[in-house]
Amino acid sequence: MSAAFSVILRGGTANRSAAAWLMLTPVIIGLLVFAVFPSVYVAGLSVTKSTLGQPFKAWIGLGNYRWLTVGGDSTFLPSLARAALFSFAVAVVELWLGLWLAVLLTSSRRAGRLLRSVLLLPLMTPPVLVGVAWKLLLAPGGGLVNGELLSLGLIDAPVSFLGTTPWALVSIMVADVWQWTPFVTLLAYAALRQVPDDVVEAAMLDGAGPASIFWRIQLPLTSHLLLAIFVLRLIMAFKVFDLVYVLTFGGPGNSTDMSGFTIWRTGLREFDVGLASAQTVLFAAFVSIVLLPLLWLHRRVEEHAS
Amino acid sequence: MTAETVVGREPLAELSFEGGEAPPAPAVEAGAGARGRTRTRQALSVAGIGLYAGFFLLPIAFLVSLTFKTRDEVLLGRFFTDKPTLENWWKAFEVIHLTAFVWHSLLIATLSAVLTLIVAAPATYAVVRLRRGEFVGSLALSSYIAPPVVALLPLFFLMRWLGLLNSIPGMVLLYGFMNVPVAYWLLAGFVRKIPAALDEAAWIDGAGFIRTFVLIDLPLLVPGLVASGLICLILAYNEFLFASLFAQDESVRGLTVAISLFQGDRFVNFGQMAVASLVGITPIYVIALLFQDRLIGGLTAGGVK
Repeated sequence: MSAAFSVILRGGTANRSAAAWLMLTPVIIGLLVFAVFPSVYVAGLSVTKSTLGQPFKAWIGLGNYRWLTVGGDSTFLPSLARAALFSFAVAVVELWLGLWLAVLLTSSRRAGRLLRSVLLLPLMTPPVLVGVAWKLLLAPGGGLVNGELLSLGLIDAPVSFLGTTPWALVSIMVADVWQWTPFVTLLAYAALRQVPDDVVEAAMLDGAGPASIFWRIQLPLTSHLLLAIFVLRLIMAFKVFDLVYVLTFGGPGNSTDMSGFTIWRTGLREFDVGLASAQTVLFAAFVSIVLLPLLWLHRRVEEHAS
Repeated sequence: MTAETVVGREPLAELSFEGGEAPPAPAVEAGAGARGRTRTRQALSVAGIGLYAGFFLLPIAFLVSLTFKTRDEVLLGRFFTDKPTLENWWKAFEVIHLTAFVWHSLLIATLSAVLTLIVAAPATYAVVRLRRGEFVGSLALSSYIAPPVVALLPLFFLMRWLGLLNSIPGMVLLYGFMNVPVAYWLLAGFVRKIPAALDEAAWIDGAGFIRTFVLIDLPLLVPGLVASGLICLILAYNEFLFASLFAQDESVRGLTVAISLFQGDRFVNFGQMAVASLVGITPIYVIALLFQDRLIGGLTAGGVK
């Protein structure tokens, strides 16, 4: 009996690995083609002079990198800083607004049920169309925002929100906040619901108000989950492209140029594929350097919490 | 005990996430003053929720109102109009090949979501339950961190070399594999919730590992597969960056690219643009509203373990 059992187990272990690797094969192929190959290829392109028609035209070593860092280029490094500013700003605002709404939802479940369908709408809207909707809202002629501000007498002439310097970047942020706050709300709401009801009720019976319940019970008990939501939004925000493309195309000047868009323009409008690849490598490195400490912190907090 | 009876006992009631359906917390008995305060608080939070709802609805509502305005009325920048017109609606379909674009988007998105699930579900099971190839899982997740623009140019050269530019199969393959990390991340939560004892019982009864996965786990994963599949479908439907480079041709052009091309078009006015946008979002909104519990369950299953 025990011999038979051990045979099954031994055979089982070998089979288990074989089965598992069989099941993993498509993903491994996918990762090789869609993750490993692009990284190696882009690194290769970055040390060459390349165009769309003729990749790997000539070897130029670190020339592209030198140009971007200490050479004459004045747009790429600012675009990295702008991408970071944008990502942190929207992630903070979305976490703040989303958490606030999630707390409101926990205190009023009936209204919450109604709001759920509304919450899904921005989340499901293609970012290109989010851009279109906000472009129409903010348009100097015919936009609702300008129309209302004018009729309320708050401004004398229409403001070109997407054409003036601080406002263009702020407008992209507003559109992003509109799209992603619902996502944060749903996740934050699920996180808050992991706080046992009886803990909150016990605190209420002891006379704690909503503010102290939030700061002393809900927030500490969910901080590791909220950090995860924050990091997730940060990762996603660094990918912003569609909103820039539709709303401002990087302008006015370069004031809304963020790296994802800059790379696209260098490669596909200026056709300098080698330089775009060097920008890509720097961008990927920059994103990793910014995110790694946060991911490490998240892992530490999660270990601590569990 | 056969596998069927194990599954037949339906042990996974808690597998389906519920968002707001939980019974309200039992009311705390308190004095009249406290009750008054609670009521004020309730009213305040309902007002707050109303403000948020207004903010989230406004851009979409404005699009709707634009569709009923003439070119001149649009310029007034008002929400309501005195003389609503339906002209934009039929003109938009005339000027823009809307139905074709929406059809391309839906076709590519649906097929790619199916591909994503076929690739991601066994892999998730292998990592989470069979505990093999953890590094594949981590690699998939870390590949999600990289901005997609990283892969744009290399994949452009690859797809051109393979002759997959401007083709439906090309876009299906691209999105199908691109969304695997997301599906893996979402499905992992669902696989973890299936009791390991079920698999172990099947293994001891002599069912192979793949058989166990297909016959025992897959049926139980259906809610997770639906949720993850829908999310991947929506991601593919909404994608723009790759589509703008790989699927420009009219024969495969999807909604997002089509809309972006009308940005500079003088023949398309605000009203028609709004019609095109609304028609384009409609399929996704219908899916979202029909499957809202599944979607929210899927989104939160990954994020909050």
